[in-house]
Amino acid sequence: MRVKAKLYPKEAARLLREQPGVREAVTGATLHFEANRKRAYQEIDAEAWRERARRVKDHLLTHLDHYLELAEKRLQEKGVQVHWAEDPEEAHRILREIVARHGVKRAVKAKSMLTEELGVNPLLESLGVEVYETDLGEYLIQLLGEPPSHIVGPAIHLALSDIQRLFHQRFGTPLDASPEALAAVARKVLREAFLTADLGISGANFLVAETGTLALMENEGNIRLSTSLPRVHVAFVGIEKLLPRFADLALFLPLTARAATGQRLSTYVSLIQGPAKEGEEGPQEVHVVLVDHGRTALLHDPEAWEVLRCLRCGACLNACPVYRQTGGHPYGYVYSGPIGAVLDPGLLGLEDTYPLPYASTLCGACYEACPVKIPIPKLLLAWRNRAVERGLAPTWEKGAMQAFAKVMQSPSLYRLLSKALRGFPLPQDLLPLLKAWTEGRGPLQPSPKPFHQLWQELKE
Amino acid sequence: MDAKSRILSRIRHALKDRPKALLPEHPHPAFSQDTMELFLKRLAENGAEGHLVDKEGARKLLADLAQGLPGAAYGKGVPDALRLLPELPPEEAPLGVSRALFAVAETGTVALSSEDGRRTQLLPPVHLVLVEEKRVYPSLLEAFLDLKSLPSAIGLHSGPSKSADIGQVMVKGVHGPGRLVVAVLQGTW
Ligand code: SF4
Repeated sequence: MRVKAKLYPKEAARLLREQPGVREAVTGATLHFEANRKRAYQEIDAEAWRERARRVKDHLLTHLDHYLELAEKRLQEKGVQVHWAEDPEEAHRILREIVARHGVKRAVKAKSMLTEELGVNPLLESLGVEVYETDLGEYLIQLLGEPPSHIVGPAIHLALSDIQRLFHQRFGTPLDASPEALAAVARKVLREAFLTADLGISGANFLVAETGTLALMENEGNIRLSTSLPRVHVAFVGIEKLLPRFADLALFLPLTARAATGQRLSTYVSLIQGPAKEGEEGPQEVHVVLVDHGRTALLHDPEAWEVLRCLRCGACLNACPVYRQTGGHPYGYVYSGPIGAVLDPGLLGLEDTYPLPYASTLCGACYEACPVKIPIPKLLLAWRNRAVERGLAPTWEKGAMQAFAKVMQSPSLYRLLSKALRGFPLPQDLLPLLKAWTEGRGPLQPSPKPFHQLWQELKE
Repeated sequence: MDAKSRILSRIRHALKDRPKALLPEHPHPAFSQDTMELFLKRLAENGAEGHLVDKEGARKLLADLAQGLPGAAYGKGVPDALRLLPELPPEEAPLGVSRALFAVAETGTVALSSEDGRRTQLLPPVHLVLVEEKRVYPSLLEAFLDLKSLPSAIGLHSGPSKSADIGQVMVKGVHGPGRLVVAVLQGTW
């Protein structure tokens, strides 16, 4: 996918100006998710669950080579064909071969962020394969030609009226059709696709090394259908998505569901061990493509590797006051919100994603929500430091910060300057930093009395 | 070098100086006394219907569900005594009847094996799942630790198919069954 992260501040400002409805839709949806998560965390010893999950993931990541080889072995024992792909080109080659070998004409897809990373849909379309996104939200944005705006709810930026208009144009439904009626139309189109597709494509929430189990979570049933009906199933799995033991799923499935949507477990979980056996329904062939695409480089990074624990639950997006303003599109890549701000620079390089680590207030809400305790605020600061070191941040920022530090460390300098400010107000429009601030807020006016004087008066 | 060797060698290089983290033990399974009560409660909270029935009760439940229907799709493990309707292919059947591998109280879940037949579990708009009382586990961990062998696929179902993707309004029966009924069977079958 094309990366547009460099344009973040401009795109965010444009979206807020031109599509104010997005803020309303995204804020509503994320506040709802966030309230559900909080309630679901209160029901358990969340701190203990998160700490345990963190430890399991850290063990996995510090033994990743071992577990990848074990997973491959177990998958192969069950008749799954395992492929390795370093980058999108290799993933494309593998998929192209499968499509050619089986003469695939139609594919059904289960929502997957990794396949967004890899650009699977454009590839299939270029091969003449008809692709249906089968998650309802993902289907909506496929019809609109948009990328997902949230890891879990790809279409949360759309209001009901947007969808009513879309279906009116596409399927001739009335402009005031109910959500049930709209879902029924989508269900009909997609049911037909499930029953006629030759290929089902999915990601994976987890891949268990001990048993070679692919675990997929969802609420609609489209993933179970995509991985049950077509005769070939291909799953793209990021190499960080492994779990050591089958029973670890008993922690990670409910924890992810609680973090993502506040459910105790998502409505459907598919645990897939391999192709159908003799006389059984199900795919004749199952392929697992283990994908690197920047993950080994992140693992190598001593300051940033913890981000690989991420379960893609979206809880940090829902908790983030910055994400809520615009939703995911301005971030310019598959992963948005707090996780995007620390993952995208790692996957794509800081040069192409420079503004993202600044898209945060450092309030820490993302860390509180994260089921695997990824210290996102700390990682944001690490990337910001690097941006300054590498000269990506504007030079005035470094100068201004140094000057600010100097003034704040010296009481006499501080007093002198604040006195001066009261006497000679700042030429507000001339300073670019202040201009950005005052544009949305009104002029900065220094208090007539200094704080230490007010404090003194208060004490007396 | 192929992709696999390159990826693995990069991982080994990356982990060279990284301290190894220990794998924590699974927590000790918590003992829950009123598993059945919890299971039925959680099913209801998930939007499913749960019934604790004996043989007669199961027949009656099925007869009620079957009223006015031309037929049903059956999973392989459904006992003959409960095949009250003529068999239809799952694509056409208004009702699917399956037999679960196990169930979990903690999450209000039935676990369905691919050996029982996947289409019956997914395509009909109403899904009745039979599960033996002794196969209801208090927690997911206990159920998973007890699994001796794994079929090619397990589906954990915790309620009817649902989506809130259209304007945040909850719609049921989007792709899978819009109604899930669970019959917990007392005694042996
Ligand atoms: S960083 Fe944490 S909260 Fe955010 S998506 Fe990943 S696991 Fe979820």
